Amino acid sequence: MSLLDETVSVPRRTMTLFFMIDTSGSMAGSKIGAVNDAVVNVLPMLDEISVTNPDAEIKVAALEFSTGCNWLYNEPKLANEFVWQDVQANGLTSLGAACEELENKLSRSKGFMQSASGSFAPAIILLSDGAPTDNYEAGLAKLKANNWFKSAIKVAIAIGDDADKEVLAKFTGTNEAVFTVHNIDALKQIIRVVAVTSSQIGSKSSTAGDTTKQDQVISEVQNAVDNIDGAEVATKVDGSSYSDDWD
Amino acid sequence: MSELRTGEKISLLNGGFVTIKKELGRGGQGIVYLVDLNGQPKALKWYHNMPDVSFYNNLANNVMNGAPSSAFLWPERISERQKGSFGYVMALRPQNYFEFGNFLLAKKSFKSFQAMMAAAMKICNGFMMLHRFGYSYQDLNDGNFFIDPDTGDVLICDNDNVMPQGEKSGIMGKARYMAPEIVAGGIPDKYSDRFSLSVILFMLFYANHPFEGAKVVACPCMTEAYEKKFYGSEAVFIYDPNNKTNLPVRGIHQNVIRRWPVMPAELRDTFIREFSPEMLKNPQSRMIEQNWGKLIASLRDKLVICPHCGEETFIDEAKPQCMNCGRDVDVRRRLKLGLRTLLLTNGTRLFIDYDNTPDARVAVNPQDRNMLLLQNLTKEKWTAETPSGKVKSVEPNEFMPVKHGIKVGFNAANKGEIIINNQ
Repeated sequence: MSLLDETVSVPRRTMTLFFMIDTSGSMAGSKIGAVNDAVVNVLPMLDEISVTNPDAEIKVAALEFSTGCNWLYNEPKLANEFVWQDVQANGLTSLGAACEELENKLSRSKGFMQSASGSFAPAIILLSDGAPTDNYEAGLAKLKANNWFKSAIKVAIAIGDDADKEVLAKFTGTNEAVFTVHNIDALKQIIRVVAVTSSQIGSKSSTAGDTTKQDQVISEVQNAVDNIDGAEVATKVDGSSYSDDWD
Repeated sequence: MSELRTGEKISLLNGGFVTIKKELGRGGQGIVYLVDLNGQPKALKWYHNMPDVSFYNNLANNVMNGAPSSAFLWPERISERQKGSFGYVMALRPQNYFEFGNFLLAKKSFKSFQAMMAAAMKICNGFMMLHRFGYSYQDLNDGNFFIDPDTGDVLICDNDNVMPQGEKSGIMGKARYMAPEIVAGGIPDKYSDRFSLSVILFMLFYANHPFEGAKVVACPCMTEAYEKKFYGSEAVFIYDPNNKTNLPVRGIHQNVIRRWPVMPAELRDTFIREFSPEMLKNPQSRMIEQNWGKLIASLRDKLVICPHCGEETFIDEAKPQCMNCGRDVDVRRRLKLGLRTLLLTNGTRLFIDYDNTPDARVAVNPQDRNMLLLQNLTKEKWTAETPSGKVKSVEPNEFMPVKHGIKVGFNAANKGEIIINNQ
């Protein structure tokens, strides 16, 4: 047998993409329906990115939070093994509890980051349409001290104007990484763009202006957002709330 | 973001237009469409967003100057600026070419070491010509190559960042392929191209990354800060003889562990030198493509068919054994060609020049199993002179005997002599 027949795949580091999904009561109806639909449809795209990527293997983990929080699987899964069970919306918005739970799992010894050939910093996508109902600050403070979280790509999607964008910006570390969507179509598109962009970023060439991977993701998502009706970067000036006063 | 519809016409600079047929694929920078140009199927890369004027002008210039060699899927035409963006036309990639990533993921495999050597030669030649044209590629990485696994023929794509040496495109490159000085914030140039080229060649030959060993695997989370260390300021070659902290790990870096000891010593020595701490710090002393070409030719001269198991093997002349079956290989029959020595065993193909096409084949004389023959696979006749001074011609497809002392003129530039060592 030729030596060439013994060739095995190069080892790849794992990049885990975390979805943190607000499933509180206010998400009920078309919002949660759109989230379910968008994630189901993005999984095959993530699978394709993973199987054709010699740099990184992409895995997916999902945490839903309402009155409590719950992992959809108790380990990160390859996209083609991740069977999405539609999440249901009811209850409160325990973002603090969700942050603590994520913090627990961002660990090699006791958590999700156990890949034999190592990991890349994860990408974390937080989706919410409201404001936390628990003491989120304590949970977020713990999470922010976690080294995996510190170097993660963090993006938040604010669904509608009731989402507390300040809280989301505290989570991502910058309000440039908070994207607001105003309709169901925009929500679906932005989930796709953020998930795909975050998964591809480790295997792309960087340009001189980009300082971090998070910056790269933000600038690519911003470009895409400009072409999605009903989506905007949180930092954009919004004059709509003042128009009544000046009639 | 700008997308095009089927049937839409895109006007080209200097006249004419292409018609959009369908989308072939999309990436971060743009979308590639199948288009029709005067009845010819071509590919159009269409940018998502309008790049700046200098990028456009540079690309237009590259179109005008033409491809440095046949290895490049070079921009053939550039569109006018329209619909908020622009694009360029190139040849379609044939079906039998696959991205280098497929080889790294072991989804595709070279049919033979001969094909692997041909790929290495074509890549080196391509970049030699590119640099000779005064360009630098700037963003050389595993995503730039399409390779035919059977023949090793290569097509180099993504030629839109190609710039005159010394000018910046703004691109830095891809992590794991960037030269240490670029990781540290430098500007890509032909010297950093040469580092990336040596990484690509290492991965082509050994199917693992030259800087990813024990030290790198031990890092649980590859952050940007660690990337800067492991591929920049603290890069350690996995087989650095003076620093064993980053050796390949059994069970993880299987390919290089298997191949490193059996591939030729001169290849090992070259990588040990090119990836030494001194060379990493001295971009200008990195090996030039022409010398890579000579090295690959020399490896190919020692790549023979094992008479026992029929597999290809590289021969270490100090210990001529098959790297597959371990048995001794009789390599007393040789062709001396200037400074080169080509080993002759039954079934081996010879590459006299660097064009990747075999020029001769070694066969056994059916009347005398102990006598080897050389078949002329070129389109020109050879002229042979026997030790007694008789001159014979060997027409295309004809055979000549492998006998000590026969001098062969393959063409005006290449004259060799057959040597049988025990005579």
